Amino acid sequence: MATPIDSRRADLSRRRLLQLSGLGAAASLTAGGAQAEALPVPTGRGAAMRRHRGSPPRKGLPTLPAAGIIALNRMGFGPRPGDIAAFAALGANDPDRMAVYVAQQLDPGTISDSELDSRLAAAGYESIGISQDPDTYRATLWDWYINDNAPSGNTSSSLPRDELTRSTFVRAIYGNKQLVEVMTDFWLNHFNVDINHSSFVRTMYAHMDLVIRLEIMGNFRTMLEAVANSTAMLYYLDNYTSSNAGPNENFSRELFELHTLGSENYLGVLQQNQVPLDGEGRPIGYVDADVFEATRCFTGWSFSYGVSGDGDTGLFYYRQDWHDRFQKNVLGVFIPQDQAALKDGRDVLDALASHPGTGRYIARKLCRRLISDNPPQNVIDAAAAVFTAQWQAPDQLKQVYETILMSEEFRTTWGEKIKRPFEISVSAMRAAGADFTLRMDDSDTSSFLSRYDDTGQELFNWPAPNGYPDVRGAWQSMTPRVSTWRLCNWLIDFDDADDNYYLDVLGQTPVTVRSPNELADFWIQRILYRPMDPADRNEIVQFMAQGINPDFDLNFDDGDTLDRLRAMVGLLLMSPDFLWR
Amino acid sequence: MSASTRRGFITGCSASVAAFAGTHFNTLAFGGTSDPNEDILVSIFLRGGLDGLNLVMPTSGADRGFYEAARPDLGVPVTGPNAALPLNAQLGFHPATNTWPNGTGTPPATLYDLYQDNKLSLVVAAGMNLDNRSHFDSMSFMELGTPGTLSTSTGWLTRHLQTASNLPPEILLPALAVGNLQQASLRGSTDAVNMTSPDSFSLNIGPFEWRAAQRVAMRNLYSADSWLHESGALTLDAIDLIELNTGDGYTPANGAIYPGGSFGNHLQTVARMIKTDIGLRVATVDFGGWDTHNGQGNEGGGYYSTHIQELARGLAALYTDLDGSGALNYTSRLTVVVQSEFGRRLGENADNGTDHGHGNVMMVMGGNAIGGVHGTWPGLAPDQLFDNADLEVTTDYRRVLSEVLIRRMGNNQIGAIFPGYEGYTPLGVVDGVDLTPDDGSAIFTDGFESGDLSRWT
Repeated sequence: MATPIDSRRADLSRRRLLQLSGLGAAASLTAGGAQAEALPVPTGRGAAMRRHRGSPPRKGLPTLPAAGIIALNRMGFGPRPGDIAAFAALGANDPDRMAVYVAQQLDPGTISDSELDSRLAAAGYESIGISQDPDTYRATLWDWYINDNAPSGNTSSSLPRDELTRSTFVRAIYGNKQLVEVMTDFWLNHFNVDINHSSFVRTMYAHMDLVIRLEIMGNFRTMLEAVANSTAMLYYLDNYTSSNAGPNENFSRELFELHTLGSENYLGVLQQNQVPLDGEGRPIGYVDADVFEATRCFTGWSFSYGVSGDGDTGLFYYRQDWHDRFQKNVLGVFIPQDQAALKDGRDVLDALASHPGTGRYIARKLCRRLISDNPPQNVIDAAAAVFTAQWQAPDQLKQVYETILMSEEFRTTWGEKIKRPFEISVSAMRAAGADFTLRMDDSDTSSFLSRYDDTGQELFNWPAPNGYPDVRGAWQSMTPRVSTWRLCNWLIDFDDADDNYYLDVLGQTPVTVRSPNELADFWIQRILYRPMDPADRNEIVQFMAQGINPDFDLNFDDGDTLDRLRAMVGLLLMSPDFLWR
Repeated sequence: MSASTRRGFITGCSASVAAFAGTHFNTLAFGGTSDPNEDILVSIFLRGGLDGLNLVMPTSGADRGFYEAARPDLGVPVTGPNAALPLNAQLGFHPATNTWPNGTGTPPATLYDLYQDNKLSLVVAAGMNLDNRSHFDSMSFMELGTPGTLSTSTGWLTRHLQTASNLPPEILLPALAVGNLQQASLRGSTDAVNMTSPDSFSLNIGPFEWRAAQRVAMRNLYSADSWLHESGALTLDAIDLIELNTGDGYTPANGAIYPGGSFGNHLQTVARMIKTDIGLRVATVDFGGWDTHNGQGNEGGGYYSTHIQELARGLAALYTDLDGSGALNYTSRLTVVVQSEFGRRLGENADNGTDHGHGNVMMVMGGNAIGGVHGTWPGLAPDQLFDNADLEVTTDYRRVLSEVLIRRMGNNQIGAIFPGYEGYTPLGVVDGVDLTPDDGSAIFTDGFESGDLSRWT
């Protein structure tokens, strides 16, 4: 397709840049300083922006893409080459294809992951995948990195953290169980622990990651208790020292406010007997007194760290003599004195997990992650109903996800959310066919992570117990926008010690694709998997053509031309179209 | 100027950026009046719930007895090396507010020096009169300026910028949100630039010879009307603005030494951008790590003391850095407000920590601070506590902020900025001209109260 050349592309000095960027008055910009007079100042932001282009503004919001793009971008971290074609082959129409894809992703045990497995094996992480038995795993982590018996001799508590960070990237980039990765990220943020809180947490966080993964398609109540008694959570929210003599309410407060009922069901400093009851006689929400009473229920929930003959294993350890043995009342549930070990706390977890308020709160969060920032109420209601009705089912969460993912709204909503930095980074590497396994003791990995960590979404590093925000308002901030642009434009230059690019743009471009028109169309399809707005496509073509006929082949023996091709891919990765989810 | 044209703020308005590139200019260049237009409000939020009772604590009388009984381990002593520093006859200041890193030359002022010099006002028992001990709700309530309502689509500083009648029609950098994400107090503001440091706020990356062409294409790709395109275009404007107006590196003035770590770095970014003279009026900075349920540190020492030291050194460094003479006398235009979502419980817990409480101390620092201790101390006797456990709130935090807005920022649109807040009278924390607060009834019906959930849940 022939495209007219815009001759303004030539001669791009800094000054020209400013002019083209809407700085028409920049002619007065000189080395000696600027002249302030006679500037036609736009009257507002909109006016300034409209001047960038001669034509009237386009609408900007994207149209609904094929279902495969929605599935790969919201149930996963974006398509890799071949994924969209594979999705298209799943059925005769989008609803059918979606049903098959959702069913596959909800049954991760049947998904093969040979590339991921070989990359993980090649990376040789010492602390990852030691055992699928949670207690064996956490005892090993404790022994190796707290009690300094790691076989490698590197006993730093940073090692399990750094390996988990690296392996999480590798799983997200190369794993086929994409929904597992998305939901693991969701639950790790739901039960947020700041991995850099302390050396104990740095070491034991990977155990929490494991218990969440083991229950990822399972039961919320089970996951809730596994997290509540994880070493990382016990330490992060201080429950490990909470005792009858000195109760610490930090964990119990966040258990109610963040892990289960949510602050939408918090009624403040009322007394328990002032809370209205629902149709089934349950309090409609919780008050501070419920937090205080629950705190008593969890006294003694601790872990073994080498006091009072507890064995110093890092395992969960119930300190019976620290437990408040008397009767309690939580959320209308009477808890008699002197119950069996752990029963008080488990009664609280039962009351919370079965409360319809928890179902509503978590269904809303899941829909916010999977559909849009303000998800349709009917889908929330449907998911919440399944969550509460199935609260004891072993596949409760799978049923809840299925309700959301099989909704028409999931398949017909697009562009209400944008990718966050982790999603941008991973999807860029997936789309651009990166060949990069993050490893320890690798300066290229360190270079990548140091740039990634500037984006504001350093993995597992949100300091407060509420987790990274999941709404676009937060991520439209300029720090993540600028830093992810920088990261994307750095990735296309990212190479190893032998100057091999990790994102090999030219190597992945068929030799028959050499003209600016062909190059633009090939890489638009590779990065975005759908056509661009014609004006935007023209922008990409013109960038690549730089004044020559865009149907003429380019010669990549010229280093400048190769640089320009990489820069064109960088441009696509920095484009608004790449950000929509 | 009406509120509607206020949206005509041109953050990094491209023409203006270019016009003033390479020069430093004063807002007078835009024909604005000089006072109080040029005042700068720096809002610092201490995330996690500052233990205000260990920052400003009773040192005498019956309340000293209640304090010591409730905090036998954590209490700041009145004697010895960690003795509280006297504020007045009843109250003392944490000793870590009077430290300075070892070095040569004359030590610049400490935070306690600034207090003694009446550059620091302390408001005791400030906060929200709301029954809520949730970090996240409380922070949102405060930063949105609407206690009890989370769905407000704009932050209180956003509404200040929208309603201030004394700002010039064009201004390059009205607001700066320092950190990884824009703070909720600037929610919905398209006037703010969000960054951590100008050094990394640049597109100086990627194949060198094609960077300029990439930028042109980026401009065009982000030229459309969606919220995403608009925020991208604003970001590109901001990059131009920052690149053109900040040079390499930064050396604090007047011997100021910022503490290491992100808090000190972020304050340094504020000072650097103030000195760039591109019109900064409002800046937000966060400092976390105050949720001290555990291991707070006994007898005035430990973690909390180190953290207070970082806070105090940062504040003192900011003041010192900006306290030049002549045109560099930025402190005469500076007001820094420090607040946290709530205070902590009077009684220490068994983990040498403190749990979520209620009333707290606020700090107001600046060249026009009146100094001293303000507000009404509610007492620590059991029947004087909130919910039988916490310091009561006797000063609404909005009263302090309203006074700064009126007396320093010249904005009396209190009804729009803090809808529902009534009965404002100045507490006397800063000097300035009193204006009759506008209850905002006219503006309030103009859409500020609508919670646009589609953008800002």
